Amino acid sequence: MDNTFEKELIGKLVDKALEYGFEEAEACYMSSSSMEINILNGEVSSYENSKVNGIGFRGKKNGQMGGSFTTDIDESAMDFMLETAMENCEVLDDEDEEFIYCDPEHPELVSIQLSGNYSKNTYEKFSEVGLELEKKILELSDDIKAVDYLSISCGTGPSISVNSKGLHTYKDSDYITIFAEARAQKDGVVKTGGHYWFGKDIDEFDPEPFLKILKKKVLGKFGAASVKSGEYKVILDSEAFVSLFQTFAGAFSSYSMQKGLSLLAGKEGTKIASDIFTIREEPMYEKALIKFPFDSEGVLTKSKALIDNGVFEKALYNLKTAHKAGTESTGNGFKDAFSAPVGISATNLVVTPGEKSFDELCEWIGEGIYITELNGLHAGVNKISGDFSLFCEGYLVKDGKIARPVEQITVADNFYDVLKKIIATGSDTISVPEGKGEYFCPSVVISSMNISGDMEEE
Amino acid sequence: MIKDATAQRIIEAAMSGGADFAEIFEEEKKSSAVGLLNGRTIRASSGIDYGVGIRLMLGTNVVYVYTCDKGENDLINLAKEAASALKSDSLSAIREVEALSKSTPSVLVIDPLSVSKKTNIDFLKQASDYAMSFDALITQVSASYATSNRIIHIVNSEGFNKEESQTRIRFSVETVATKGNEKQTGRIAPGTMRGYEYINEYPIIDKTRECCETAIRMVNAGYAPSGKMPVVIGNGFGGVIFHEACGHALESTAVGIKASCFTDKLGKQIASPVVSARDNARIEGEWGSYMTDDTGRESSDLLLIENGICRNYLVDDLGARRMGCEPTGCGRRQDYSYAPTSRMSNTYIDNGEDDPADIIADTEYGLYCTKMGGGSVDTATGEFNFASEEAFMIRNGKIAEPVRGATLIGKGQEILMNIDRVGNDLELSAGMCGSMSGNIPVTVGQPTIRVSSILVGGREA
Repeated sequence: MDNTFEKELIGKLVDKALEYGFEEAEACYMSSSSMEINILNGEVSSYENSKVNGIGFRGKKNGQMGGSFTTDIDESAMDFMLETAMENCEVLDDEDEEFIYCDPEHPELVSIQLSGNYSKNTYEKFSEVGLELEKKILELSDDIKAVDYLSISCGTGPSISVNSKGLHTYKDSDYITIFAEARAQKDGVVKTGGHYWFGKDIDEFDPEPFLKILKKKVLGKFGAASVKSGEYKVILDSEAFVSLFQTFAGAFSSYSMQKGLSLLAGKEGTKIASDIFTIREEPMYEKALIKFPFDSEGVLTKSKALIDNGVFEKALYNLKTAHKAGTESTGNGFKDAFSAPVGISATNLVVTPGEKSFDELCEWIGEGIYITELNGLHAGVNKISGDFSLFCEGYLVKDGKIARPVEQITVADNFYDVLKKIIATGSDTISVPEGKGEYFCPSVVISSMNISGDMEEE
Repeated sequence: MIKDATAQRIIEAAMSGGADFAEIFEEEKKSSAVGLLNGRTIRASSGIDYGVGIRLMLGTNVVYVYTCDKGENDLINLAKEAASALKSDSLSAIREVEALSKSTPSVLVIDPLSVSKKTNIDFLKQASDYAMSFDALITQVSASYATSNRIIHIVNSEGFNKEESQTRIRFSVETVATKGNEKQTGRIAPGTMRGYEYINEYPIIDKTRECCETAIRMVNAGYAPSGKMPVVIGNGFGGVIFHEACGHALESTAVGIKASCFTDKLGKQIASPVVSARDNARIEGEWGSYMTDDTGRESSDLLLIENGICRNYLVDDLGARRMGCEPTGCGRRQDYSYAPTSRMSNTYIDNGEDDPADIIADTEYGLYCTKMGGGSVDTATGEFNFASEEAFMIRNGKIAEPVRGATLIGKGQEILMNIDRVGNDLELSAGMCGSMSGNIPVTVGQPTIRVSSILVGGREA
């Protein structure tokens, strides 16, 4: 796609901003095209197609950075953006300085990760794959009564930014995601379960492994009962561990630390987790669907340990927090959207796997709970203190084997305590899309967690 | 906004592929927000979001396309592209576009967008300064203020030509109390569709004090116990239980495909006889209100449950096609990037007869949740969970020690049947609801209620 017009437009906006009285300025243009189909009862029940774009602006005056955005792109919008951004500069009194930056050695940053397969993503192709998948899900068992939700979607589109320091960036990539949720009923009991796939080539979607996991996620729940309240050894499956870690990932941000909102403040270089636990940020991880060579501020990213054998190596910094701390940006200054300010995010995260397979982990713990889903993470947690109390689902492990599914239980603990109670990681790493990128994470064993259930005795 | 003649041409292009219904949804939203941390203004933003969505239906099949472009040719081409996704030969009639009719649920004396950011900041500073000097345990105060005006314009093949203007204000104050490694928060986050006069009348100091008191109480509190017990849920945001555990399962998005635990329950008992509940979108000035929904239909004041009997579902136009009934005017969406679905507005359990003090006095042992956090639900199984932000134990009919970290879990169908007391102190409270058509403003509400038994997930046995 030729984006000359947009490049010129945002370049003009930056020039105009300097004339308007900003000392420094940056503008970005983002465009995104997407397509989605939904399948229901043997039909394509809905089809969506979109093309949206927008411009985000930030300008600096007297040490304050004011921002504005629009999706209504024309000349009058430019005046609106400059005027309101200036008004915003005037009311701000942030004591920490934000920066507009250009690495003199890398003024031109380009990351094009287009698969070349995007043209395969047609209505016809997605319908064919979706209808076939729905049919196969229904064929998995007579107990599966419906596929309540099945969507296939894809998206692509460039993101360009220009600033008064001379930075030019260009990024583009594409993706496809498939999600299905099935409903089963047996003896009057209803259970639901969903599974996803993501990639860059629709022809690489293999329904067989997808169906195998979905089947387990739905039908495996029948026969569930609660458990007796108490302390249990717990195996958190990859998705459950990732959802928990991601909920508290903000604690690793230097911003949270500087604002007194993270208990990890002042703990860089000290032990915060069990010896066997290592998690690294790998922006360019080979297996990752999307790689991040640079962040939204134009800083090159780098591979680094977040926690190395239990030691909290270094927090994540952007230019603003790094300046305040007297250190360098770690290349984690990302905007969530063209309209958003620069925040701090991790990209792809990799948990170092252990030696044991999942079955060996069960055998090793002997008795305990295997948790597959943690629910209510947006509500049942205290993001600062690390306390959580969550509704969960999974299985009871007895005599080293999965005994039966469990339901109507909650797990309550503290994130920072859980990090210290990790006693093993499995060899069963999978990729879980979460946050900006993906987590590559195996099952994680916790020595004990507090489980509430309403069963009197086993 | 798009002119009538242009709209007519877009609708014609959209109907050219055999759709039996086509709709244009045009939206322009202006927004302004500021954020403070410990008394300093660290965020200030402004924006304009404009876009158009075109929706086609053929039976229960839906095609939805959207864009930020506003040129007539771009929109006609987009409509044609959408039409090509439908493979039907039969052409349906198109009614001529009616004269534009306008509505608003906002009651504005002072337009919030006419008030300067500096004034917004001064308002938040009152809360911030008060909280910072309230007690040494209060270590952080964040405050935010956001206002927006959203104009939606809907034209469809049935001749609808509606425009609605929605102006909203929401602000929040969050205080953090610290004791050693322990940090707990207190929070208020009111929302309104009234004008800036709402802010001028708001008792910000009293409410900030309560917020500080909650944080301090919770940082000093022990953990909640685990197990099944009677739970008294306070009024206002406590209604999130009903929103999650029942409201979502009454939406045609779930009922229309028989994926809800309340499918085929009209006229049947789904709640205890002391429970009546409504979804009323027509309360002027209320945070979750609208007079015209995002599909151009007039909103309604809908009786959902009457003395425990299920009376109505929340049905949007697609749901109506699936269920063979009339839509109730509840088609909503976050913005033009979402096709509409059936959603709630101001949803609440109606007043009962009990004095809230009697409900506590009649409870020998249990949990009293005074401030609820958010939660989620699986509408097929009815399983829900939600967190309490402030809670106390009830011992011998009296409010006893505060406890933290309690999560309530259960199945919606069972909990509704287990509500045994309903107070007479109904209060509404603003929230955001996330679902298939995005995040939308809703209010939840209820009087003080008691559930005879809920599983509480805490940390003490």
